[in-house]
Amino acid sequence: MGATYGQTSAIIQGRAFPPMQSRSITAQMRMDGITVNVIAEDGAIICTCPRQSVRFDDPIGSAPRRATLPDGTLFETTDHKTVESAFGDTPGSIIHKLERLHPRMVGFIAVAIAATWVIWRYGLDILAAGALAITPPQVVDAIDAGTLQTIDFVIAVPTQSTAEERAIAQGVFDTLLATLDDDIRAAHDFRLEFRAMPGLGPNALALPGGTVIMTDEFMRLFPSEDIQAGVLAHEIGHVVEQHGLRQLYRSVGIAVLVALIAGDTVPIVEEILLEGNVLLSLTFSRRSENEADEFGVDLAQQAGYDPAGLITFFDWLQDEMGDTSSWLSTHPSSAERVDRLRALTEAQ
Amino acid sequence: MAIKTAAPDTAQFEFRGRTGEWFGIWITNLLLTIVTIGIYSAWAKVRAKKYFYQNTYVAGRNFDYHATGLQILIGRLIFVAGLVVFSLLSSIPVVGLVMIIGLLFLIPWLLVRSIRFNAIMSSWSNVRFGFDGQPGNAFMVFMLYPVLTAFTLYLAAPFADRAQRRFVINNHRLGKAPFAFDSGIGAFYKAFFAAIGWVILMTVIFLTLSGTTVFMLISDPEALERNPQAAFSIIAGFYLYAFVAFFPAATIYQAFIRNTIFNGSMLDGKHQFVSNVKPLQLVWIAISNVFVVIFTLGLMLPWAQIRIARYNAVHTQLKAGGSLDDFVGKIEAQGGALGDAYTDIEAVDIGLPI
Repeated sequence: MGATYGQTSAIIQGRAFPPMQSRSITAQMRMDGITVNVIAEDGAIICTCPRQSVRFDDPIGSAPRRATLPDGTLFETTDHKTVESAFGDTPGSIIHKLERLHPRMVGFIAVAIAATWVIWRYGLDILAAGALAITPPQVVDAIDAGTLQTIDFVIAVPTQSTAEERAIAQGVFDTLLATLDDDIRAAHDFRLEFRAMPGLGPNALALPGGTVIMTDEFMRLFPSEDIQAGVLAHEIGHVVEQHGLRQLYRSVGIAVLVALIAGDTVPIVEEILLEGNVLLSLTFSRRSENEADEFGVDLAQQAGYDPAGLITFFDWLQDEMGDTSSWLSTHPSSAERVDRLRALTEAQ
Repeated sequence: MAIKTAAPDTAQFEFRGRTGEWFGIWITNLLLTIVTIGIYSAWAKVRAKKYFYQNTYVAGRNFDYHATGLQILIGRLIFVAGLVVFSLLSSIPVVGLVMIIGLLFLIPWLLVRSIRFNAIMSSWSNVRFGFDGQPGNAFMVFMLYPVLTAFTLYLAAPFADRAQRRFVINNHRLGKAPFAFDSGIGAFYKAFFAAIGWVILMTVIFLTLSGTTVFMLISDPEALERNPQAAFSIIAGFYLYAFVAFFPAATIYQAFIRNTIFNGSMLDGKHQFVSNVKPLQLVWIAISNVFVVIFTLGLMLPWAQIRIARYNAVHTQLKAGGSLDDFVGKIEAQGGALGDAYTDIEAVDIGLPI
């Protein structure tokens, strides 16, 4: 004992279990040169094998070390020192050394916290971008078609707008699309749909594949091309920035990461983290709205419309709905958005 | 060697893990899992399981866990890929509905695969466990029965639970030696009503303490809008209520059921088990653990886990009805870790109280 690895002989006290049997036999492992013998208390040889065929399992804490010998015999010992000196390190020994209680663990905690922040801030976006890149466009189109059917079934009725009203909106939509870069336009299947949605009021919404729905109520209340351009450009922004799918991938990513990292911890921690995830996804949602606002103002202006159109819409929304936004909302408050947009349009 | 086959020998379960040692493993697992964006979690799981298994002894012989990190990782990658495809496709309304119906049949299959994988990857005294449950029966006890109990206002829930435990335990083996569990329904109802009793008790206490506020709210819901400060304390109060009412109730239920299961189980028709955990002691341990863990921002979690493992071991015995040297392993068909990934990532509790 106490010799360095490479020694030619060693005796390790322990016990042996015959292959696939629970019978425990007090035994010792003797290493002589290139041969290893496992010998029972009464001197009977249980197993003989070449030294290089003996592989001890990775050490974990101070639990007994185990080696399964070529004939299936299991040898177990608590003599960690001799196993290490006679058979050396296993691939997992590095981890075992890392795990030893040591002041460096304060550093571990710091790195873990920093890495969590980096993953949350950048990692999820990168993962979502990767998933977006390999999403087949057919699936996205199918999501649009299916969602539109559901909307028709649940909340929408066929449009009662006049052909004239539709022509105005379609004209604005086409002008905005013509302003987009060719490759961006080609990447999505842009389409404007008209529906009456009494439950939704004056509004427009975008589906991930490029279908934009405008309500009759919106066209009636806001015949102004500038306002329509502001709102439609905002919806086009959601499509181009792929906010819908991105959010879907982000939430799957967070759910999996939380399960993998906190899964082994007390169940309550996982619940708290997932609840926190809802709040985080709301932040993401508000961020998306702001991004779409910026995109929309830009696009509307490039297409030759008054970028203040969107502001007029939000002013109206604020008067109508009041301001109730907070960290529990999917959208930033209208007042906040108007302020941001004013700053944006004035800067241009 | 002496042959001991006479009277039943009582063998104590022992847990020899140590807090400091487990803390080192735990924090390293956490760190490596985070910096590898979850990939190391597969190896972390193996090391954690090995640590707890290898440190749990019965009659001086320990358990072991044999899955490799790579096996677990492959299972998890397949599962996550499936999850992404599933979330994406369920955004298509009709397809989503079809897939949810498909899940009804997929889940029992995954559950059985998971239990089987965990069984054949676990051993005691050099003999691997095994599991022979079939997905069809899993569908009955895990999907159908819980739905049926809803029609009884969950009053028949103890029957469903007993059916699940029977399915899981009676299909387990240690090598070739089968486990057998049975119990009268009374013990399950006792656990059920004890848990409900706790919830009722806590509800009464809560209503008495905050009664006027709650009744005021019911009679005048707009009071909240006038006073957002009160709204916040009511939400906080509600969470506190949920914590002191439901969390201990679940612990009480599990404690009673654990005793029932161990005391009603037999291995190879001759070895019996004894569990005598005290529900209120476990409630104290569970609640104080949560507080300690929260106030140390999670750092005392390893301590809490070791504390529970020790408590459970101390309150568990094996009454050997013969030699423990006679168990023989069986060659098991191997299976992937996909089901295991499902129960891990979706945090499914299979209900083996070991």
